[in-house]
Amino acid sequence: MNSTVLQRMASGDVAAVRECMDRYGALVWSLARRLSRTAADAEDAAQEIFLDIWRSAARYDASRGSDKVFVATIARRRLIDRLRKKGGEPPMEPPEALESIAWSDPATEPATAIDASHAARALQELRPEQRQVLELGLMHGLSQSEIASRLSMPLGTVKSLMRRGLMRVREYMNIEIEGVAGRADG
Amino acid sequence: MAETGPQKEPDEAMLDLLIKQVSEGLSPEEQRELDVLDNEVASAYARDLEHAAAAISVAGTGEPEPMPQALRARIEAQLEAAMAASAASGAAARNAHSSTVRSIGAAPRPQSRSTAGWWAAAACLVLAVLGWLRAPLGQGPGTAPTPAQQLNALLAQPGILQIQLDMTAEPAAAGAKADVVWDPRTQQGVMRFVGLKPNDPAQHQYQLWIFDGDRDQRYPVDGGVFNVPPTAGQVVVPIHAKLPVQAAKAFAVTIEKPGGVVVSGLEHVVAIGKAG
Repeated sequence: MNSTVLQRMASGDVAAVRECMDRYGALVWSLARRLSRTAADAEDAAQEIFLDIWRSAARYDASRGSDKVFVATIARRRLIDRLRKKGGEPPMEPPEALESIAWSDPATEPATAIDASHAARALQELRPEQRQVLELGLMHGLSQSEIASRLSMPLGTVKSLMRRGLMRVREYMNIEIEGVAGRADG
Repeated sequence: MAETGPQKEPDEAMLDLLIKQVSEGLSPEEQRELDVLDNEVASAYARDLEHAAAAISVAGTGEPEPMPQALRARIEAQLEAAMAASAASGAAARNAHSSTVRSIGAAPRPQSRSTAGWWAAAACLVLAVLGWLRAPLGQGPGTAPTPAQQLNALLAQPGILQIQLDMTAEPAAAGAKADVVWDPRTQQGVMRFVGLKPNDPAQHQYQLWIFDGDRDQRYPVDGGVFNVPPTAGQVVVPIHAKLPVQAAKAFAVTIEKPGGVVVSGLEHVVAIGKAG
């Protein structure tokens, strides 16, 4: 049903627009708010993201991941692109005011996005400083230099923590998904 | 991902670039650096890392914040119009002229703006076309009225608002006059200008705004962008409200960047008028 929304969008079914907004509106808006410099930027970004979703909908392949992560991938690309273009502008929230992230609990929330659930599980296994660096970089949109400054860490340490943390999440997700695929095949 | 990860391992320098790419983006120099590295390994890892980063984003979003209703309505309209524009190839612009009145349709937003601006232009065009077809104001089937014809039709309707706009001290407004005719029932209207300074669409465009009494006054409803050509005398511009207007309280015209803006800072207001 979820992939159907994207398929219908791809086929130009105008009636699917509302369903698309129902399903992804809050996700896109939350990401746009976190990764935009101003509220007006977030609104512009959300508009661009939904046009990107429509244009990319035909590329969605359910065997490669959930629709929500597919949408988040499109959203992140657009938001990162916009952040780079507006690099000199101050962030919407001062870094000290960054709210903490409420990670979904994979044990109690059987995710509608299975790959997001795997990512949440992988994050639980990371060292706290790895998780913190990924949180600041991926959720709050801080650059590696900004993270280094905020945490009073050498830039090389931030890079290393982010590299190991994200590679660990990637490995965990591949193992989990291959396991699921293996069980399904068996 | 269902695909098995790549067998060949990237080196640390490549990984650092790939991770920076998915977390904050690369500078042109870094992108060139990445481009000369092993493309097959890089692209396979880039895909995996981007997927992992997006999955983390979804996991960390928890209870997502609902999108504001007004923004959602704008996006829905934009998407529907873009999809309709994509389906209906070859839509023609309608600019009509009369001997006494220069009629100007809503200006297309320049392609030099972001893709959203381009699609917004397509959306405006299609919404306008659909609007005309649904409410033809006494025209023959499939015949779109010009703004001047729309003005005449509006003036014959009961219950219309006619508002004289006050020009501001903006240089573009010097010596100009403007008024609005708006039909609350059909949500259609036009603005008339005499003497408004011609604009260079590559530098800036005029944008119409409607202040709706039922909405936050900081966010007036976008009524479309338009241009004033150098030789224009009286200019008639159709108002294309992007959202339903429940109670029009005021109308304004601003100068904005090419393509217009979603939310105006109202820094350069050239005309404004209150209803009632």
